[in-house]
Amino acid sequence: MNNMHSATHSNRSREMPFIPAAKQDRSRRQFLQALTRSAAAGVLLAGVAPAFASAQEKGPAGRKKVAILATEVRKMSHAQHFIDRFLEGYGWQGGHHFPPFELASLYVDQFPEGDLSRDRERRHGVKIYPTIAEALTLGGSKLAVDGVLIIGEHGKYPRNAKGQTLYPRYKFFKQVVKVFEESGRSAPVFNDKHLSTDWNEAVEMVEDSKRLGFAFLAGSSLPVTWRIPSLEVPLETPLEESVCVCYGGVDSYDFHGLETAQCMSERRAGGEAGVQSIHAVKGEKIWELLAARERTRRLLFAALARSHTCTAPPGYTCAMPNLDWIRRASPEAVAYFIEHLDGFKTTLFILNGLVQDFNYAGRVQETGKILSCQMYLPMPPTHTTLADFFNPLVNNIEKTILEGAAAYPVERTLLTSGMTLFAVESLFRGQVRLLTPELKVAYKPAAPSTYWRA
Amino acid sequence: MKDLKIAFLLEEFALQTPAQQLLDRFLIGYPRDGEFHKPEGMQVTAHLASGETNAELDRRVKDYGLVREQEAGAAAAQANALVIVPRGSGATANESLIRHALEKAPAGCCCFVYGALSNSLDAAKKVMELAAARKSRLCAGTSLPATWRLPDVDLQPGTPLPEALIVVHGTPPAAELDGLEGLWPVIERRRNGESGIQCVQFFKGDALWQTGRDRVWSWPLLAAAISRSDSPQGDPVKDGRTQNLAGLGLVPGLARDPRGWVLQHRDGLKSTILVLDGVIADYSFAVQAGDGTVTSAQLYRPPAPAQHQFSRLAAVLEDFYQTGKPPWPVERNVLIAGLLETFRDASLRAGERVETPALGIAYGR
Repeated sequence: MNNMHSATHSNRSREMPFIPAAKQDRSRRQFLQALTRSAAAGVLLAGVAPAFASAQEKGPAGRKKVAILATEVRKMSHAQHFIDRFLEGYGWQGGHHFPPFELASLYVDQFPEGDLSRDRERRHGVKIYPTIAEALTLGGSKLAVDGVLIIGEHGKYPRNAKGQTLYPRYKFFKQVVKVFEESGRSAPVFNDKHLSTDWNEAVEMVEDSKRLGFAFLAGSSLPVTWRIPSLEVPLETPLEESVCVCYGGVDSYDFHGLETAQCMSERRAGGEAGVQSIHAVKGEKIWELLAARERTRRLLFAALARSHTCTAPPGYTCAMPNLDWIRRASPEAVAYFIEHLDGFKTTLFILNGLVQDFNYAGRVQETGKILSCQMYLPMPPTHTTLADFFNPLVNNIEKTILEGAAAYPVERTLLTSGMTLFAVESLFRGQVRLLTPELKVAYKPAAPSTYWRA
Repeated sequence: MKDLKIAFLLEEFALQTPAQQLLDRFLIGYPRDGEFHKPEGMQVTAHLASGETNAELDRRVKDYGLVREQEAGAAAAQANALVIVPRGSGATANESLIRHALEKAPAGCCCFVYGALSNSLDAAKKVMELAAARKSRLCAGTSLPATWRLPDVDLQPGTPLPEALIVVHGTPPAAELDGLEGLWPVIERRRNGESGIQCVQFFKGDALWQTGRDRVWSWPLLAAAISRSDSPQGDPVKDGRTQNLAGLGLVPGLARDPRGWVLQHRDGLKSTILVLDGVIADYSFAVQAGDGTVTSAQLYRPPAPAQHQFSRLAAVLEDFYQTGKPPWPVERNVLIAGLLETFRDASLRAGERVETPALGIAYGR
């Protein structure tokens, strides 16, 4: 375990108040009114105001402004997780952290039954604008926010013949770029999940960010969430293969699994070299291919040994899986066999029916040492009430906006977007191996590891 | 590696009970340190106290060669490692079964009691003395001391520690046992080790919140502990919002029948156990060191049905049985047994300061 001094915070300058139970006000605005009432009654303790100074309505003057562009906002949609963390704060490093930003505007594309955006507008005074341009200009003519989040996940959008859901991330992004161009200035942008379902669009998004010179952060929460155990892959580790064992759908959680593997793989000696081929297969074909790959088999079991959800046979709760059991428990299994340009290998196993978590194993060249961990997602509603894996993601977005530099390279997500969409293509074309000259995406990772460990 | 003959003496056996989770890990194996691990050369015997037919145990006889033994004494006599698991949460010990097992087990046997070591301080001391007389090694506890912490922190040995707090949920005495089991592995590492308990106070309802206002226990530590929770109740359940439960003053309104224990240790440490049903649904602690730094973490319990906190406990126990060295001092378990007994009494005298001279049990100094 870490020494406690590596993960502590000072409590000396911050007193937490006790607020009387009567009339528990749930919104921050109501709370601030309560604060006034209680203080007048002489109940509150010293140091109350600083503890809440960063609240949405009462933040320090000159806070940077943020706009969130959402496909839909309902309970447990991605946008709800992001919006509420900016409005209400979140648990971070042993305290309740308020992002030092004002959530100045929302654009919401769809308002389904159970919509929460109107409620957030009413309770927090964050305005919903009818267009993306107005959300970014706050109704004016020039860019008026300092950071933009594109949360294009969830909502009713068409699916194409390949089974991809055509979320409007690229469309949203291009409207953001248009405002940047018309304003003569830009701001950091975060794009939730993969960039696009179309490779050329994904490339264009990254190129736009470089052309206009704004920080562009993207991707999944998997690279930044808790790791059990707390595994750091040192930079320049001579890794030769990565495996992720996960669950979920194609063009969905597969992206999370690829980000799980890639945030580790990119730290290998020489950094990321790009991908030369992808072969996506299903069912029995997986096990036929795996028969010739003893090393990958070992990594599969090493990753499975980090799972906390591996299904056991009837009458038991804790599995000791073998290949036969994996095949029976996950008859609809999907695997992506990926070859990188430097000979490195990534294999993603989507084992629905067997696991419901994300697990990593990587092999170090020569020593044969296996590094493994679970990327832990506190997943509501069955095990938790909050999807707190969004906490470290929001925290990295905050850093990106404050520092004007992406906390980690967008090339990671460009590559994982490409891996995802070419894997979908491989399946669509009949589980064929595809050469991917497009995916010559070489990059070096950020030196500081950004996962949640304090 | 030593060939282990491990006997499970059980009051019940059903899926997802501590008995099943632990027995299966020794019988079948479990993930440990990144690989699936099957304890080698291990003979596993089970005795079910009720003696009834049990389909789940019979399944293990058929599938994995589990040996069933009708007599507890006979099972213990053949073993060099014992696991004794009572019914339910483990908060109520089967003292006669523990004594009988220790009397019958061969000298040098390693014995683990799941949950509370005994139901009173006197009984716990007698069990400890009996184990010493039989030259057996003894310890007790639940999975909480062994499970993962988020983040992965521990108290630097020898750290001065003036105040500690844990927030748990559940019914008595199981929640109280969880609170003690979760907090003790952290606080006993403080400077000069555990000094024993000088007095205990119990508060409930509005009096609990008043004592918080009066600084009898620490709101800042409660806020730090709650910040580690992934399962805040109230509005987060309703619409998924994150919420500063402590800072917004929502805790008293959410809590159902709140209760708390403030323990004054003989070296000045004050530790608090808060049972706050309706506020959180996981376990988190926060401790404040002498220099003011606060360390906090959630005691992570993986999901059912696998409940891999039992894999962590199994690993600790396997090391215990292989090395003969208990994973923690049995004095911890004696003190916890005494505290649970004191809690039963003190809960009838809410607000009173209950002096506990008998709990002046120091260890790890």
